[in-house]
This record gives sequence, structure tokens and C-alpha cells, in this order.
Amino acid sequence: MPEQRTRLKRFTPVHRLWHLTLMLLFMLLSVTGVAWMFYETQWGRELAGLFGGYQGALEVHKIGGLVLLAALLLHIPYLFYCIDWKKFPGSLLNANSLVFQWEDIKGFFGHIGWVFGLNDLPKYERWGWWAKFDYWAVWWGLTIVGVTGLMLYDPVLTSDYMPGWMLNVALWVHRIEAVLAMGHIFTVHFTVEHWRPGNFPFNAGMFDGTMPLEEARHDHAAWVARLEGEGRLDAALVAPPPVPLRILYFVFGYSIILLGIYLLVFAVTNAALLTLF
Amino acid sequence: MSVGHTIISLLGALLMASPVFGQAMNTPEDLAATGFFRDQDTLPGSFRFYQQLPGGEERLWGIGPSHPKIRRSSFKLDAHEDVADFSQQVRCQKCHEPQTKDLHGLRMDISCVQCHRNQPVSGVFQYYSPLNPIRRHAYVCAKCHEGASPSFASYMVHEPNPIASETRSTFPAFYYAVWFMLILAGGVFVFFLPYTVLWWLRDLIAKFKRSAGHA
Ligand code: HEC
Ligand code: HEC
Ligand code: HEC
Repeated sequence: MPEQRTRLKRFTPVHRLWHLTLMLLFMLLSVTGVAWMFYETQWGRELAGLFGGYQGALEVHKIGGLVLLAALLLHIPYLFYCIDWKKFPGSLLNANSLVFQWEDIKGFFGHIGWVFGLNDLPKYERWGWWAKFDYWAVWWGLTIVGVTGLMLYDPVLTSDYMPGWMLNVALWVHRIEAVLAMGHIFTVHFTVEHWRPGNFPFNAGMFDGTMPLEEARHDHAAWVARLEGEGRLDAALVAPPPVPLRILYFVFGYSIILLGIYLLVFAVTNAALLTLF
Repeated sequence: MSVGHTIISLLGALLMASPVFGQAMNTPEDLAATGFFRDQDTLPGSFRFYQQLPGGEERLWGIGPSHPKIRRSSFKLDAHEDVADFSQQVRCQKCHEPQTKDLHGLRMDISCVQCHRNQPVSGVFQYYSPLNPIRRHAYVCAKCHEGASPSFASYMVHEPNPIASETRSTFPAFYYAVWFMLILAGGVFVFFLPYTVLWWLRDLIAKFKRSAGHA
């Protein structure tokens, strides 16, 4: 008997490819960036040693950054492709859209109320307010880190376009934004997506593209209701992926998570050795 | 030429072009260097979008660094002329703690005298000092940063503390940009870190309730 179709399709293969690209480049940039930032410590030198010293780490960091910026630029035509132009501009505010809407503000405050036991969990659509926050945080994060990163890419060339002291500013802005991004991903994002009691220990949703229907009825009630109302729920259900794939997702996903935790723990324990000002 | 070969030579060219390879340590030739130029600086038609006069100050409507503090020694040929306990044997770091925090020294082991020159170390505004802003870009920075311009040399090697209140007047762009970023990052963490913990706990309670309901 084939396995029960218990899982609801949530992410398309293209969504997952974007996430995979972002994740791999983010980790590569984190490791090389942290290695450079901590280069004055023993740990930083060891990390940079993996890339053949700081020259190698910086070179990989710069190339990785360019590829990520290229991906960000490619994402723009993809967005245009995703927009439903026939119903534009109303379609920007439809239930599948990642644009912040009035519902999200209500969803946000409703969530706080729920956490404090004041009301029931709001009936969320496909994307919760936190998912939209994460999506747009990548936009502003990559813009800040990208512009300053390009400035630092070739300091001499940059100073043909602006005074050299802008590099002092750029380095600090780059640094703080990177710490914000890594700190957020390695604590909040991992906890919300993987370690909440419903998901623990690992949520393969972004890898297999689905979530359990049972969970969706609870966490995304409005979405499930809409699919049911439109008679599309059945078509959106799939069986869990085969076991070997599940093992692959788990092993791959957890190596990334552990790498993040490793960077976080060592960065925090070595932070006191850094000379910042 | 094969593709692999092309990529390797391109990577090689990239590596050779990075300043690291110009970083010869303190040899006499190195100390005598007067600066290198990039191709685009010497070929006809060279153009710089933004230019700064050597020694000129460009503060962009006052947001850049103001003129540095002038000390008594700043114009001296031997900055340590009047420093009684000075000796070549004492490490610079011992007396100049605020200047030990830049990334050239900390991360790349570049010694003070690779920029300041030695015997004697002169004040940074002494007329013939290599660090005098009129020639700093060519005599110091360009030793390692090919094509360094006066604009490039306005980078503050010994940068001030960005969050200290005096930086608000001495380097406003630095002060405000860093505080803006700190408040942004701090705001995100102050909200999300505790909130995620509460959320986690609330989920646990919900899970217990649901399994109790099923039983
Ligand atoms: C014994 C302590 C001592 C040592 C060692 C020492 N300095 Fe100084 N240095 C001083 C003092 C004191 C002054 C004068 C500061 C003033 O004028 O307010 C000075 C001034 C200077 C100045 C001029 C500051 C300016 O505004 O232009 C420079 C540059 C400098 N030192 C660099 C160095 C370097 C490089 C070394 C290592 C080779 C070094 N010093 C070693 C104590 C020291
Ligand atoms: C990469 C080149 C470079 C290195 C390395 C370097 N300096 Fe400087 N130093 C400068 C420049 C440029 C200035 C002029 C002011 C500025 O831009 O910060 C300066 C200024 C100074 C001054 C004058 C006061 C001030 O802060 O403006 C002192 C003192 C000084 N340096 C000491 C040192 C000592 C001690 C070391 C080694 C720990 C050192 N420097 C390493 C480039 C360098
Ligand atoms: C002895 C060699 C040397 C000298 C002299 C030198 N630098 Fe550097 N500088 C380096 C190296 C090595 C790096 C490492 C970064 C890299 O490889 O791109 C660097 C990096 C930098 C950066 C980039 C910082 C970052 O955050 O990535 C700036 C800006 C800079 N130097 C400015 C200057 C200025 C201004 C001067 C002249 C006052 C100067 N340097 C003199 C060797 C030198």
C-alpha cells in the first residue's frame, strides 16, 4: 500500500532552489567572513587556514558575495514572473503574496496575544508574518551588506568614486549587518523552523517542499480552509518522500545547522579576544 | 587554451592583483618605494569619477572626519625628540595604545614602521614625513595598495571609536551610521530573542493540550 498522502505542498521546486542557493552562499560567506573578522584570534586563523590563510578566505568571501549579489539580481525578474499581471495590482495583496498586508499586522498582534494566552492562535494564510519578515529581511540585509561589500571589494577603486573614509563607515556597517544576519539565522530562524516542539528535531519542509496537513490545519488554518473551499486541497496532498531522501535531507540540513551553531558558539566565546575599538 | 587553464590563469591574475603580494616586509627597497600606479591611472584617457587634492580635506558637507588633532610632535622631524623615556628598544605599542587597534597591525602583522618609517619616526604633519597628507597616498599606502589615490589615503587607519560621543563631532558619518546599525540590530534581537523563547514555550503547552485532548 502506498504511504498515506498526509503532507501538503508548500514550496515549489523553484522556491527550494532559491533557498538552497541562499543557504549555501550564506554559510560560505559566514565561515570566510567570521574567519577574517576573528583573524587576530587563534580560532580565526584556523578557520582561515581552511581556505589557505586570510588571502584565500577573503578571495572566497569576495567571489561568494558576488555570486550572492548576482542571485539577488536574478531574483528580481523572477518576482516579475511570479506576479499575476492579469489581476495586477490587486494580486499583490492576494493570499499567496509575500507583501505585508493588514492581515499580517492583525496576525502579528494576534500571535502575541496567543503567546500570552489571551486569545486563540489566529487563522493564518499560507505565509505567517514571521515568514514574511524573514523574506524581506533578506532583501534589506543583502542590500546593506551588498552595497558595503562592493565598496570593500576593491578599496582603491572605491576611492575613485567617494572619499576613502567612507570605507571606515562601510566596514562597520558591513560587520554589524553580518552579525545581525548570522545571529538571527543561527538562533531565531533555527528555533522557529526546527526546534519548536511541533518541528523538533528537524523540519524538512524547505527541502521536500511540504508540511504535515495536521500541522497546517493548526498553524495555517485559513490556508487549508481556502484550499478546501476551492476544492484544491486533495490535489495539493502528497505522500512523504521516500526514506533515503528523508535521511539525505536530515543529514544535509543538520550539517548546515551544526555549522551555524559551531560558528555561533565559537564567535561568542572568542568575542572577548577581539579588538574592536 | 583549455577552459581550466583559463580559469587558473584568471584566478592567478586575481591573486597577483591583490595587495597582499605587494606586502614585502620592511626591506630597504620597500621603504624607499614611491608608489605604484594601476594601468587605468597611466594609460591615456584615465578618468576618476571622484578626485581629491593631495592633502586636501573632503568632508562631504561636514559628515567626514574633521582635521585630526595636532600635537606638539606632529610637525617634528623626530617626533620623539622631547620624549625622555623613548628608546628604539621599547615597542611602539607600549606608549601608543590607542594606535594598536587597526586591522593592519592586528590582522596582518604590519608593523608600525612599515607606515611610519623609522629612524627617526617623524610627526605625521612634518613637511618631509612620508605620512604627510600631501604624499601619504604615494609614499605609504601605494607601497601595498597599487594605485592608491589621495582619496584612498583619507581612510582613517587609526579609526576613532565609532560609538564614543566625541566621534559625533569628529566623524559624524561614522558615528551615526554605526549607531543606526546598532539600534537596528539591537532592536531585532531585543524583540526576537525573548519572543522566540516564549513562542517555544507556548508551542509546548499547545502540544500538551492537544495530546491531552486526543486521549
Ligand atoms: C616611550 C614611549 C614611546 C615609544 C616607545 C614610542 N613613542 Fe611615539 N610618541 C610618544 C610620545 C610621548 C609622543 C608625543 C605625543 C604628543 O606630542 O602629544 C609620541 C609621538 C609620536 C608620533 C607623532 C604623533 C603626531 O601627532 O604626529 C608618532 C607618529 C609616533 N609617536 C609613532 C611612534 C612609533 C611608530 C613608535 C615605534 C617605533 C613610537 N612612536 C614609539 C611616546 C612613544
Ligand atoms: C597602514 C599604515 C599605518 C600603520 C601600520 C600604523 N600607522 Fe600610525 N598612522 C597612520 C596614518 C595614515 C596616520 C595619520 C592619522 C590617521 O589617518 O589615522 C597615523 C597616525 C599615527 C599617530 C598620530 C596620532 C593619530 O592617531 O593620529 C600615531 C601616534 C601613530 N600613528 C602610531 C602608530 C603606531 C604605534 C603604530 C603601530 C602599532 C602605527 N601607528 C601603525 C598609518 C599607520
Ligand atoms: C605594508 C603594507 C600596507 C600598507 C603600507 C598599507 N596597507 Fe592597507 N592593507 C594591507 C593589507 C595586506 C590589507 C588586507 C586586506 C586585503 O588583502 O585586501 C590592507 C587593507 C586595507 C583596507 C581594507 C580594509 C578592509 O576592511 O578590508 C584599507 C581601506 C586600507 N588597507 C587602507 C590603507 C591606507 C589608507 C594606507 C596608507 C595610509 C594603507 N592601507 C597602507 C597592507 C597595507
